[in-house]
Amino acid sequence: MSYYLRVINSPFSNILGENGMLRSVISKKILLFGNNLNCTRPSSTSNSEGLKKSSGSNDMLYQSVEVEMRSGEPAVLLSYEWFASYAANQLGITIGKCWAPPKAHHNRLTLLKSVHIYKKHRVQYEVRTYFRHMTYERLTESTLKTFLEYIQRNVPEGVALKITKKSVVNLPSQLADEFQSVNFK
Amino acid sequence: MLRALVQSTDKVAVVPQLRQFHASAACCKVQSGRYKITPKRDRPLTYEMANPPHFIAHRKSWNSWDTTTLLDGQRAAETAVEDVFIRRFVTGTWHDQFCSEIIIKRQHNLIRIAGIIKQGLAVRKMYFLIGYTEELLSNWLQCPVKLELQTVENKESTIFKYI
Repeated sequence: MSYYLRVINSPFSNILGENGMLRSVISKKILLFGNNLNCTRPSSTSNSEGLKKSSGSNDMLYQSVEVEMRSGEPAVLLSYEWFASYAANQLGITIGKCWAPPKAHHNRLTLLKSVHIYKKHRVQYEVRTYFRHMTYERLTESTLKTFLEYIQRNVPEGVALKITKKSVVNLPSQLADEFQSVNFK
Repeated sequence: MLRALVQSTDKVAVVPQLRQFHASAACCKVQSGRYKITPKRDRPLTYEMANPPHFIAHRKSWNSWDTTTLLDGQRAAETAVEDVFIRRFVTGTWHDQFCSEIIIKRQHNLIRIAGIIKQGLAVRKMYFLIGYTEELLSNWLQCPVKLELQTVENKESTIFKYI
């Protein structure tokens, strides 16, 4: 059987640690892609419903899942990464590469120190965003949902998550027919 | 300097109402978030007050914990205004009770308000105030609000130093 990878990427504007937008958006995305694929799960919208596995359905398989965390405080990120990795270990999930970029993102504002004039004297403010990435490999859909539900519920204040999933799906039927007619030598 | 020049010349009759340039240097002083030393050195400061703003993230931490200031953070303005409103409402409702800054932590749609208050408030009064604050704030902000209070015996126990 031939497989190819499809990246399910949530749009960038939807990452957020607050207002509960993150989870709903991502779960909808999965279903959107799942509808025209070999997924036979009934379309449920809420995560709690999704956790219940209906009988006779196939789980989607995920090649890897990347969790991007961002925060203003690197120590919090480190602690959260430890927490997530520990949870993954307990659940028997394969942990892939975990890394952090060497430099944080700095949003700098250079303003005049005085209200009016005196251009030579400036003051600089900066807002930092630290990043950290974790990857988990080879998960089934139900494992992934349980795991994500757990780590997303326990996200600390001031931390935003972005989750990118790579699922394994069948080749579309048109393409599969093409491939059958082609002889590889 | 100019004033001295004007007065030193004898030939010019200096009129008392003479208009002059304001020639002193600009006071380039950074003073926001800092406290002045009193002559008697008896102004009480908490740890939070004793550290000026440039020590944030080094010696002390932020008072609002949310994701608005991160890269691609959302609702920055709304959150800031809500935080100001929460702080005003809580300090007004718990009049003279808070001994520390009010810390606002946001997770998902949950808002947690933390702080240190004085002991000595009647138990029924305290329970009423907790319920009142949580109920009203969650009604206005349309999300669950929780109060996380810690108590100390008196206000003096939060004092870090006198300046």
